[in-house]
Amino acid sequence: MNATLAAVMAILGLTLIKATPLIYAALGGVLSERAGVVNIGLEGILIAGAFTSVVVSGATGNPILGALAGVLAGMLLAAILAYVTTRLAVDQIVAGTGLNIAALAGAAFGLVLVYHQPGASHEVPALGRTGETVLVVLAFVAAGVLHLVLTRTPWGLHVRACGEDPSAADSAGIDALKTRFWAVVIGGAIASLGGVYLSLAELDLYSDGMTAGRGFIALAAVIFGRWTPLGATGAALFFGFFAALQFSLQRAGVPSELLQALPYLAALVALAGFAGRVRAPAADGVPYVRS
Amino acid sequence: MQAVDGVDLELQPGEIHALVGENGAGKSTLAAIAYGAVRSDDGSVEAVGVVGLVHQHFKLIERLRVWENVLLNREPRRGWAIDVDAARERVRALSASYGLAVDPDALVETLPVGIKQRVELLRELDREPSVLLLDEPTASLAPTEIASFFTTVGDLAKRGTAIMVVTHKLAEVIAYSQRVTVMRAGRVVASHLTSETSADEIAREMVGGEVPALAARASVATAPLLEVRGLSARSGTSVLDDATFEVRAGEIVGVAGIEGNGQTALSDALAGVAAFTGELVFAGTLLRASDTPASRLARGIRVIPQDRRHEALVLDWNVRDNVALGRQRTLGLAKYAGAAREVIERFDVRPPNPDAIVAALSGGNQQKIVVGRTLASSPKLVVAYQPTRGIDIGAAALVQSRLIEARNAGAGVLLISFELDEIFATADRVLVIANGKFVGSFDRAGIDRGRIGALMAGNA
Repeated sequence: MNATLAAVMAILGLTLIKATPLIYAALGGVLSERAGVVNIGLEGILIAGAFTSVVVSGATGNPILGALAGVLAGMLLAAILAYVTTRLAVDQIVAGTGLNIAALAGAAFGLVLVYHQPGASHEVPALGRTGETVLVVLAFVAAGVLHLVLTRTPWGLHVRACGEDPSAADSAGIDALKTRFWAVVIGGAIASLGGVYLSLAELDLYSDGMTAGRGFIALAAVIFGRWTPLGATGAALFFGFFAALQFSLQRAGVPSELLQALPYLAALVALAGFAGRVRAPAADGVPYVRS
Repeated sequence: MQAVDGVDLELQPGEIHALVGENGAGKSTLAAIAYGAVRSDDGSVEAVGVVGLVHQHFKLIERLRVWENVLLNREPRRGWAIDVDAARERVRALSASYGLAVDPDALVETLPVGIKQRVELLRELDREPSVLLLDEPTASLAPTEIASFFTTVGDLAKRGTAIMVVTHKLAEVIAYSQRVTVMRAGRVVASHLTSETSADEIAREMVGGEVPALAARASVATAPLLEVRGLSARSGTSVLDDATFEVRAGEIVGVAGIEGNGQTALSDALAGVAAFTGELVFAGTLLRASDTPASRLARGIRVIPQDRRHEALVLDWNVRDNVALGRQRTLGLAKYAGAAREVIERFDVRPPNPDAIVAALSGGNQQKIVVGRTLASSPKLVVAYQPTRGIDIGAAALVQSRLIEARNAGAGVLLISFELDEIFATADRVLVIANGKFVGSFDRAGIDRGRIGALMAGNA
């Protein structure tokens, strides 16, 4: 009996650990999409956050500085996406995809430059047990704060207006392009914490492919969560649970190849069953060009 | 060419000033310049106080609440948050003050179009404008809604607001305005006290000559062509519920109704692009819900869709290819180029160039191509859905005349229109549609404008 309880507790604990990076990435996606910009580049922002935080932590010996640098890198990447999708009206999917490829390749190249080896970095000073706990708790705090910002504040209302109808927002005197820009950049800052968590909290190094498509699962969580911060957090926990289950079942001897596909299958099934019944913000993914 | 050229216009407090002109005359541009949304190259606009503008196409955000729309970017605050109670109260006070009842918490997308207009108006009124510009404000209102709308506007004028109504509905100009200015091709061509002019005079000034007369209606023997029994259909948000009617060969049946009352579902069911239940018998054969649009075309059923840019034309193609579109199975290569020339000639398409790219043509000329190719294939049944939407009086008269000629030649025509005048001018019979149901039927001789208006508004 105690053994079962322990197993359940282990899965729940692991769920939190696995869900945290997804929550950050999904919250960043929610903010960006509520303003009308689909952020396909979440994966790239996770990579930028994970890689940069490791490099700076290694160089300075200070993991907190590393974390801050990771957030800055995520914001910078998001700012590029925000600039080209708002000011230059570039297709959001194309820009985001480009960002992912650039981040993945940039980090791989960075490993060779900094550590003179491909594949993975050295071990660096990490945030430790306390840092990990703080980041897990902060993810839920961020969800609550973002919920309040979107539903209660003037800026939140303006963001939602820009995601529904940027031209109407513009004619009410809201600068739709500026609002979208900052929503994407702040969303990038939030999402990059997911990357920091992966490399400096869960582990103490960066390795190629460590984000493993979490940016895309987060996109699914955004949809599954109906573009709301609390919904997306719930969806991230749901996907995190399947990721946790994967580890537990692996110990029970189920083939690992099958299990590794579990979170992705869960995302697929969730989206397929859900897709027709939810509505994205009306102007989500549509570049806004002032006439 | 300039959209607006050397216009002088003066609005007085307490006055409703109508600005009329055909599409493309520059009315909306002038309103946008006065509002400050468009910059003029030369000249100046002076106003005492705030200028408000109510757009032709509502600038409301559908999935926000009424108060969120009305107070967008002017939200009352309490600390870092929006003071929602104060916002609700402000909207309530405003609606009470102007007699525009509306629930501040309602989601805009759930509101009927007449209420949406109230929201749009409230948003401008919250800014306490001393000048209010209304761009085609009654385009999607029912006749009774129009009357109550102008009551509100008249009330505003009495409180000292200067009001300009941009419109092409001359009946409203005569009924509600004190002064009228007529624009043509970017210039002011006439200005009157409304009491000293007439709708006929204004129409002549708008067109720059006599309004072309419609083709004469020949008397034709009519035989049953389309029988519709218990037709229910859905297309997007448009719902048609249990419609029963018939269209005979050699008659125009007008479907009168306000936009959004099931017309799209009706048109799409007949075109073969929307699923339906009920019975559709065309020339003795039963049409099936599983029919393709191609099979409807093959039977001689042709639809003039209401949205020519998205549903009828390939804008990047030239006139020749667009004229052949939908007839590609029957039009041989030998006749391919001739078909375009025929339509250009019969419909006076300008420029008369089969190689012209359709996107570069004016809306009126684009519509002539759509109607022209539809009628050139000698259809048995024409479903004309808003065939003159957004085109000038001359082009509209030409399109209506060609529809009458098709009727004279023995085709059945189902004319779905939001413009009552168009239906009264052309239809042999009038059916009234409201809330997806057919609620009335009138012969040409027995047309009762007031009764039809009431039925359209849903007051049976």
